[in-house]
Amino acid sequence: MSDNTEIKDQGTGMKEGHVLDLKLPIGWLISAYGVLLTVYGLMTKKEVYAISLGINLNLAWGILMIVIGGGFLLTAFLKRKKA
Amino acid sequence: MAPVITLNLVDYAIIGGYILVMILVGYSLKKYMKTGEDFFLSGRSLPGWITGLAFLSANLGALEVIGMVANSAKYGIATVHFYWVGAVLAMVFLGIFMMPFYYGSRVRTVPEYLKLRYNEATRGLNAISFAIMTVLMSGISLYAMALLFKLMLGWSLTGSILFAAVVVLLYVFWGGLSSSIYNEVIQFFLIWLGLLPIVFLGLKEVGGFAGFVAKLKQPMLHAVKYLGTSNNPLGVDWFGVVMGLGFVLAFGYWTTDFLVVQRALASKNLNSARMTPIIAAFPKMLVPIIVVIPGLVALLVLPEFSQAALPTADYNSALILLMKHYLPNGVLGLAITALLASFMSGMAGNVTAFNTIWTYDIYGTYIKKGMPDAHYLKVGKYTTVFGVAVSVGTAYIVQSFPNLMDYMQLIFSFFNAPLFATFLLGMFWKGATPWGGFWGLLVGILTAAGHYILYRAGIISYHSDMAANFYQAWWAWLADFVVTIGVSLFTKKRDPKELVGLVFGLTPKPKTEARWYARPAVWGTLALAIAILLNVIFW
Repeated sequence: MSDNTEIKDQGTGMKEGHVLDLKLPIGWLISAYGVLLTVYGLMTKKEVYAISLGINLNLAWGILMIVIGGGFLLTAFLKRKKA
Repeated sequence: MAPVITLNLVDYAIIGGYILVMILVGYSLKKYMKTGEDFFLSGRSLPGWITGLAFLSANLGALEVIGMVANSAKYGIATVHFYWVGAVLAMVFLGIFMMPFYYGSRVRTVPEYLKLRYNEATRGLNAISFAIMTVLMSGISLYAMALLFKLMLGWSLTGSILFAAVVVLLYVFWGGLSSSIYNEVIQFFLIWLGLLPIVFLGLKEVGGFAGFVAKLKQPMLHAVKYLGTSNNPLGVDWFGVVMGLGFVLAFGYWTTDFLVVQRALASKNLNSARMTPIIAAFPKMLVPIIVVIPGLVALLVLPEFSQAALPTADYNSALILLMKHYLPNGVLGLAITALLASFMSGMAGNVTAFNTIWTYDIYGTYIKKGMPDAHYLKVGKYTTVFGVAVSVGTAYIVQSFPNLMDYMQLIFSFFNAPLFATFLLGMFWKGATPWGGFWGLLVGILTAAGHYILYRAGIISYHSDMAANFYQAWWAWLADFVVTIGVSLFTKKRDPKELVGLVFGLTPKPKTEARWYARPAVWGTLALAIAILLNVIFW
């Protein structure tokens, strides 16, 4: 993780960052949720969605979460490629 | 009583996935925890967007969300004052005017600032009262979580308390403040993803805002119009809202509560530290979307809140009943995970704030001074265990009030409301003396407690409990302000040389090296403009 570009201590308390890129766990978690909800949405019967006003909420929200989670992963990936 | 909601395997998989990610994140941070500053302040290394979202999420606990949905069902759109009046201005003020002294002076905690600016006694008073308050809060939310999951899902009270405590303990023990902050950022996204489906479906069913206008009474639909007298759903007049909530409670909480300030102190540089609360102000203004709209929807679609049932309605159940009403298994698990996440991150936040204050301001000051850093790192880690254990203990002792939010405001107003006067005078008036600061703070806390006793005894009366809280905050602040000035006029001042970097006017202005679009003042002004605009729209 530590490379040569880390910020050196300049006597001001500045240290190497806690370089865990938070976009990765957020991206993985949200897209995994998205995939799970999408698959489950495709498997469930229509009657389940009577309470959500007839909308297949799992499918719709699952796809949205794949897009959002994918966005985080893509940003993290592009940043890593640049660095 | 049968549980309100039944979960299936998919829901449990979603809950399990979150727990797993939190533990992995905590574990992966373990290797960075080499010094006290790593553990307690994330090595002062985090970017502004992370500390900003954590700054907001630290306050967006499940109790807050459930309580605010309840308030919205009870009081209507006026609930937005907790966001647009009671937060934004204070957050911008913290970023622009106060952060240079907090971050610039390199203090590690809020009480440490009081020690440098005033004296040891003032620090001790604040550190000890904060430590007690934090553990109380942690216990309250742990108990509330267990109670909620028992009523909602049928989980055992002891089981959920111990489970949450162990997970929080693990990741805070490994990753310290960084774990807490990362959990808060993840929680921020989960809360939105978990609650937005209710907002969309609710708006669809009632027919959008036009539906609210057609079906709700006028005072429920206006934020400001009915504040002329206390004859509005809140039972508070404009003075109580503006001075009590907007000025004293908001500034007391957002600018001096170490739980939130600690997030800004973890920033990588002064500009990020100043941007932290300002970045947080923008999503803060949007939070009413996920609390006020569900509250109003609950009034219209749930039989529990129909006109006939109103006097006995349990408003705190509004959000849970809406989840049951709209969410199918799957997305339901996501919403439950969002609540669980905000409970756990709330507890983690309290525990990290507690162990920092305990280690630096109590242990390192009164018990064992001048030990090597490694010693304090170890003490901090084991204080985490102690803090979690005390929270679990408190969880069993705490008894709930009718409205959870009112109770939280009550605790804040005892300790936090007067504190803002001490900071305001400390940062912006170099004439405030060490003993002026101490006596002002003490009299302020006693005033809040005294006011509360008089109110409970029926000697002072208000239109609502909320009005009593707002006014109590105001009087506590005023007492602190007046006494600090009064005592300062007759006691020995500190040498101005010692106050450089701590007080406005004795400190060189921060050089703004950031480009105009990264400057706190630019974004702060924009946040204020939007807040004013929102108040006008929902007048």
